[in-house]
Amino acid sequence: MIELREVTKVYKGQTVPAVDRLSLKIPEGETCVFVGPSGCGKSTTLRMINRMIEPTSGTILINNKDIRESDPDRLRMGIGYVIQQIGLLPHRTVAENIAIVPRLYGWPKEKIRKRVDELLELIGLDPETTRDKYPSQLSGGQMQRVGVARAMAVDPPIMLMDEPFGAVDPIARNYLQDEFLRLQREMRKTICFVTHDINEAIKMGDRIAIFNKGRLVQYGTPHEILTRPANEFVSDFIGYDRVVKKLGLYRVADLAGPAGCVAREGELPEIGRLMREKESDVAFLVDAHGRPCGFLTTEDIGGMGDEISPQSLMQKALGRRGAFAQREMVLRDALSLMLEYDTEYLGVLNGGDLAGVITLSAIRKHSCRKEGE
Amino acid sequence: MNYIRFIQDNIPLILEYTKAHFSLVLWAVLISLVLWVPVGVLITRSEKWANRVLGIANTIFCIPSLSLFAVMVTIPFLGLGRRSALVALVLYAMMPLVRNVYQGVKVVDKSVIEAARGMGMNYWRILWEIQLPLATPVIFAGFRITVVMTTGIAAIATYIGERNLGRLISEGLTRFNIEMIVDGALLIAFIAIALDTMLGALEKKIVPRGLRVHRGH
Ligand SMILES: Nc1ncnc2c1ncn2[C@@H]1O[C@H](COP(=O)(O)OP(=O)(O)O)[C@@H](O)[C@H]1O
Ligand SMILES: [Mg+2]
Repeated sequence: MIELREVTKVYKGQTVPAVDRLSLKIPEGETCVFVGPSGCGKSTTLRMINRMIEPTSGTILINNKDIRESDPDRLRMGIGYVIQQIGLLPHRTVAENIAIVPRLYGWPKEKIRKRVDELLELIGLDPETTRDKYPSQLSGGQMQRVGVARAMAVDPPIMLMDEPFGAVDPIARNYLQDEFLRLQREMRKTICFVTHDINEAIKMGDRIAIFNKGRLVQYGTPHEILTRPANEFVSDFIGYDRVVKKLGLYRVADLAGPAGCVAREGELPEIGRLMREKESDVAFLVDAHGRPCGFLTTEDIGGMGDEISPQSLMQKALGRRGAFAQREMVLRDALSLMLEYDTEYLGVLNGGDLAGVITLSAIRKHSCRKEGE
Repeated sequence: MNYIRFIQDNIPLILEYTKAHFSLVLWAVLISLVLWVPVGVLITRSEKWANRVLGIANTIFCIPSLSLFAVMVTIPFLGLGRRSALVALVLYAMMPLVRNVYQGVKVVDKSVIEAARGMGMNYWRILWEIQLPLATPVIFAGFRITVVMTTGIAAIATYIGERNLGRLISEGLTRFNIEMIVDGALLIAFIAIALDTMLGALEKKIVPRGLRVHRGH
């Protein structure tokens, strides 16, 4: 656990504090994202945690121990540190770069070699081809991964990351974020993560600390921050689309209901009766292999439905072949799909199988309910 | 060719002069390295001191060599001869060496140092394992300039009693012996070029490999 108590930093020659009476607790195993406009003191705060900067006043505790009691170099060896510019040593190979902290700890060569390969695998780089390359031979995304691997070399329980994915292109960034979330789900490290991008903060953080001008303006889970912004600054910072952003926090599986009515092509003529029997507003059409290929709603069959030809019903259903969402899809993307297909329903898939249905009204209710909570 | 005949006729003398020239250059360069490399490293820690030291180095460098040698001679402990010559040459070397070491260490990417510090490397490790290796190309450039320059200026030390290749030029001037002057100049130039070439080869060995490879290789 990391705890900051009334931490203040005034840089030499400045009168305005860069960080002003900041108090914050980061529970073990959680990712806390520091977010705010540029110059608001995020990096300064981060760098005080590993004593790259000494606070002017206040106390920082790691696992209830004042960090001033530790030797700074020793302290830093035990904390992973990743910066935006990465800072790989250009004259050292990838393997040597990753081996820096293990070498400081005096690990035997064989153990270091094994660990380097293990880490390269973990971050999705081929040890055989990567380990002896120099940083100048890597792409930006690869360098960033090596930077992360290097910080994790001795498996430190705490990681400090200062805009770690800020310098890579958006596609690579998205990918790195997903990869990192996947790793973190298993590693459960205590992570301080700095970004100026609120979307990244919402995506990566178990908790978000919003900074403004050296002050902590709000500290809470992404859900709390999006639901109850503490003040105008926070709501401005989040933007007008906060409800949509919040939909990014939940997954289709959270709101999915049972599929209700499932029919084959041959059952189309009596589809209206089937739906009434099952008391379902939507009927899924499955092909000969039982795979979903579209759906119909009560609107399509016009209440009675029986007069409409099975062919046109079939066409309508197949037109929604793409209106299906995987269980893991975030609600925001599901909503977007609904708008795209002009439908209030989406089929929910678990892999290739039909797993249920999600409705616009469920999403709407979810947003309102959470709003009022 | 008269130039070649002159050398053939004076081989023992020229050998003696060459030896003296070499040893003066060697000692001057060695002392300079031992003295100025640490100074160059040290002043990276304080901007104020860096400005002062580099200012002094620049000033010394602007003094004409003949007058610097002459001034040395007037200092009691130094007097006429090798000591004065060494001190003057070492002072000249201050500018190229201190400046290049300072700049070489200073221009190392800040983020590399930041990351290294963040991983718990201490000052000495960072200096030894990162800053100096990364500074080698710049330091080496300064070193090569120093060697070439010292070889040339060492000739002037003949006026304060050094018996080296400079003497061919100074005596050639007084006797108006063209062969002597030209041969002296050519020999000095030859030594300078030879040393520089050797150092160039050494540089290839010393500059870290990672600084030479680039994407695609
Ligand atoms: N080494 C420093 N010396 C003086 N002022 C600094 C230094 N580092 C940062 N600052 C100032 O402190 C404030 C906060 O900086 P920083 O923590 O880097 O902000 P952020 O990371 O949120 O962009 C800024 O106004 C910045 O100019
Ligand atoms: Mg910053």
